[in-house]
Amino acid sequence: MFSQLIYKLMYSIVVLLMVIITVSSIIYLAPVDPTRLSFGQMADAGTIEKKKERLGLDKPLPVQLMYYINDISPISIYRTSELSELPVTKSALSLSSTHSLVLKMPYLRESFQSGRKVSELIGEALPKTLILAFASLLFALLIGIPLGIICALNRDKMADRAIIAFSTLGVSLPSYIPAIMFAVFFGYVWSSLTGLDVQGSIIELNDLGNEEIRIRNLILPVLALGIRPVAMITQLSRSAFLDVMNQEYIKTAKAKGVRLVSLLYRHALPNASITIISASSGWLATLIAGSYFVESIFNFKGIGDLTISSLTSFDIPVILGTLITVCIFFIIINLVVDMLYTKVDPRIKVN
Amino acid sequence: MDTLLDINNLSVSFNNGQSNVTAVKSISFQIYKGEIVCLVGESGSGKSVAANSVMRLLDESKTMVIAERMSFMSKSGECLDILQLPKDKLPGLRGQEIGMIFQEPMTSLNPVIKCGDQVAEGLLIHGLESTHSVKDKVLELFKEVGLDDSKRIFDSYPHQLSGGQKQRIMIAMAMACNPSLLIADEPTTALDVTVQKKILEALKELCRNKGMAMLFISHDLNIVKQLADKILVMFKGEIVEQGSTLEVFNHPKHPYTKGLLSCRPPLKTKLRILPTLSDFIGNTEAKKLISNRLPDNNIITRQEHESAFKSLSSVEPILKIKHVTTSFTQAGMFFWNKKKVFKAIQDISFVLYPGEVLGLVGESGSGKSTLGRTICRLLDSESGSVTYRNIELANMPENEFRVFRKNIQIIFQDPYASLNPSMKAGDAILEPMIVHKLCANKQERIEKVYSLLESVGLPAESFHKYPHEFSGGQRQRISIARALSLNPEILICDESVSALDVNVQAQVLNLLNELRSKFNLSMIFITHDLSVVRFICDRVMVMKNGRLEEIGTVEQVMDNPASDYTRLLLESVPE
Repeated sequence: MFSQLIYKLMYSIVVLLMVIITVSSIIYLAPVDPTRLSFGQMADAGTIEKKKERLGLDKPLPVQLMYYINDISPISIYRTSELSELPVTKSALSLSSTHSLVLKMPYLRESFQSGRKVSELIGEALPKTLILAFASLLFALLIGIPLGIICALNRDKMADRAIIAFSTLGVSLPSYIPAIMFAVFFGYVWSSLTGLDVQGSIIELNDLGNEEIRIRNLILPVLALGIRPVAMITQLSRSAFLDVMNQEYIKTAKAKGVRLVSLLYRHALPNASITIISASSGWLATLIAGSYFVESIFNFKGIGDLTISSLTSFDIPVILGTLITVCIFFIIINLVVDMLYTKVDPRIKVN
Repeated sequence: MDTLLDINNLSVSFNNGQSNVTAVKSISFQIYKGEIVCLVGESGSGKSVAANSVMRLLDESKTMVIAERMSFMSKSGECLDILQLPKDKLPGLRGQEIGMIFQEPMTSLNPVIKCGDQVAEGLLIHGLESTHSVKDKVLELFKEVGLDDSKRIFDSYPHQLSGGQKQRIMIAMAMACNPSLLIADEPTTALDVTVQKKILEALKELCRNKGMAMLFISHDLNIVKQLADKILVMFKGEIVEQGSTLEVFNHPKHPYTKGLLSCRPPLKTKLRILPTLSDFIGNTEAKKLISNRLPDNNIITRQEHESAFKSLSSVEPILKIKHVTTSFTQAGMFFWNKKKVFKAIQDISFVLYPGEVLGLVGESGSGKSTLGRTICRLLDSESGSVTYRNIELANMPENEFRVFRKNIQIIFQDPYASLNPSMKAGDAILEPMIVHKLCANKQERIEKVYSLLESVGLPAESFHKYPHEFSGGQRQRISIARALSLNPEILICDESVSALDVNVQAQVLNLLNELRSKFNLSMIFITHDLSVVRFICDRVMVMKNGRLEEIGTVEQVMDNPASDYTRLLLESVPE
C-alpha cells in the first residue's frame, strides 16, 4: 500500500513537470506582450524596454522558461548575490564562489499587475474554490445517486423517463447557461423571495469594511455548477444499478430474505459505486471546467475567477500559478480515486 | 408423511410486450418433508423458472404465474399460500423457510462483501442470532459444509476462493436458518467432476442429517441417480414423467426420458453412433428410418479399436509437440517490463497422427485450453517446438505463420459468444475463405458454403440468418462449418460440446465423428467429460497442473489407468 503510494507520487511529479513545461511554453510563446497590456498603446519604447528588462522578458524564451522552472522547483540553483532577493523560506548550500544550491518553498513569482506574490493570491482564492467544488460534489452525489436508483427501479416507467429527459438536458447544457439563468431569476427577478444576490463570493466586505462569511452566496454557484455532474451521475448510476440489480448475487440476497432497502444499500450500492468511481475523472473534469465560468459569472473570487482575470491582462505568473494549482488538484484527486478504488473493490489488488 | 410443498397446475408465462411465452405449462408435484426430489430437463425446459416461482423471485411485472394451488407448510405448521403472500411477508419465507443455491458460484456471491458476513446476514435478518454470537454460528456452519480453515474463509472475499469453496459457502448460506426446503438450481454444473462429487455427497448428507427436503434441479440424469428419492422429468414446460428413482431409471415410460437416458455416451463402452432424442420421439415412420441409422452392432470392441488405431499410427505423425512450456505474464511496475506469473503448461510432449482424435482431459486450470491455444499460436510458447509436417511453427514470424493458420483450426466452447451477432451465418463461414483467398471466385466460395452447411446438417436458408435465430446446437454447427471452410487438416475442439444439452451434444458428437472420416481430420479434443472421450477419441492425454499425467489409447487409460489422478477422475464420474 505504502510503496504503491510512493510510486504513484513519483508518477504524479513526472506528470506535473510535463504539464508545467507544456503550459509555460505555450504561454511564453503566445504573441502577446504583457508590458504593452499594462502601459497601453501610448507608452514610449524606453519605458517598455525598462519594464521588460525588469520582468526578465527581454531574454530568449528557453532562458525565461529555465528561470521559471528554477524558481518553482523546490531544489534550485541561484547566484549567491541574488539569494537575499528570494522572498520565500529557504536554506542555501554554497556550490562555488558565485552559485548556491537552494532548498526552498516553490517560488511562483509576483503578479505583473498588482505586484503581490502569486502564492498569496492563490492562497486567498483556493479555499473558496475548494469549498465550492466539494459542496457541488456532495450535491451531485447526494442528488444524482438516489435519482439513478429511482430510475433503475422504475425502468421505462414514467418516473424513469422524466428523470432521464431532464438529465439529458442537464448534460447538454454548458454550466454557464444555468449559471446566468439562476443569477438572473433567483438573484434578481425573485431576489425578494429568495434573498439571494446576483453576484458575490463566500467572503465579502460588509458596509463597515470588515470581512464577513456569507454562506448563502454559495447556493446559486453550487446549483449551477452541480447541474451537469448531477445529470451525469444520474445516468451513470442508473446504468450501474440496472446492471448490478440483474446480477446473480442480488438474486442470492433476495433468496436470503434481504429487504429492499438493505438490498440497495448493502448489496447494490458498493458494486454500483465501482462504476461511478471509475467514471469519476469524466465528471470531476466537468466540475472543474465549469467552475471557471461559474466563478466568473457570480464574481465568486476563487481560482477560476483569478485565472480568467489574469488571462485578460496576460499576467503570466498568475496564469501559470493557477494552472499549476489546478493540475496539482487533479493529481491529488486521481490519487484519492485510486485509493478509493482499492478500498471499494477488494478484487483490485494493491500491487 | 407430511406434504411440505404442494403445487397443483402451476403455469408461468412471460410477457415481453408483444407476445406471451409460456415457460411452464400446468405442472403439478408434491414434496414431502425430508424428501429429495430432482427436476431434470434440458435448458429452456422451464425447470429454473418453476423453481424461482416457488421463491417468488421472478420479475412480477413481466411474468404471469397462475396455480390452482401452491402451498407451503411453514415451520410453525401454518399453511402458506405462496402466490397470495403479501410482499412484506416474502423475506420471512425466503431464507428462513426455503433456502436456495444457484448454479454459478462465481457470480452468485457479492464480490465486495466478506464471505462470512454474507452468511451471517441471513441469520441476522431473521433474528436468529445476535451480532455477538453470529460469528461462532457461521464458523460452525462452515465446518458443517466441509470448509476447513473456516476462520480464514470468514474473512475472505469471494474472489480469493475456489469454485468448490464458494459453492460450499452458498450451501452454508442457504441452510443457515435451517429451512425445511432447499432448492438447488444446477449447483454443480459449473464445477469440476471431482468437486461435483464431493458437493453432491455433502448436500445429501446435510439433507439427511437435518431432515431437510431438497428440490434439486439438473440437466443431467446421471448425476441425480445417487441422490434422488423421486425424479420429475420436464420437457418443453411440462412434467412428462414422475416417479421414484428406481422406476424412472429402470422402466422409463416417456420416450423423452428414454432418450435422455441413452443420449449420454456411456463411460465403459465405445459406440459407433450415439442415439439421439429423435430416435425415441417423433412419428413412427420417421422412427423406422432413424432406427435403421443405428447399426445392430453399435459397440466397438477393444480389439477392433486397437487394431484400427494401429493402422492409424503406422504413418508419420502430422503434428509433433516437444517440451512445450507456456507462461502467463503480467505488466510489471513500468510499462516496458513484464513479470512472469506462472507456467500454465510445462514440458509437454506428444504426437498427433493423421486422422486421429486425441482427447485432452483435466480439471479447470490444468492447462488443457492453454495447450490448445499454444498449438494454433493464439498464445506464444516460451520454449519447446511445435512441428507440423516437418515445419517448425513455434518460432515462425506471425506473417509466415498466417499461411499455416488455415491448416489448424479451433472451435471454441461457447457457441453464443464465439459468433459475431451482427454477421449472418453464411458470411461468418465465408469470411475465413476470403481472408485466406480460397477458391477461385465469389460464386465458388458461396457454393462451398452451401455444401458445408449441408455437411453439418443445416438447411440452405441458414445462410441468410443471424446467430440469434439459431439454437445453441445449431450455432455450434455453424462454428464447425466455419472451421471446416478452410479445409484444415487439424481441428482443435476446445470444450466444443460442454455447453450443450445431452441430446444436442450427442448430435454434434455424431456429426464430428462423421466429418472426421469424410475429411480425414486429425482432432485434438479438449474436454472435461470422460464419457465424451470414450466415444470420440482414439487416444487420451490426462493433464494436471500444467503437466502431462498420462497418455495412451482410450482403452489403456480408461480401463487400466496408470496414474492415481486418472483413477480419481474416473471414480468421480457419476454413473
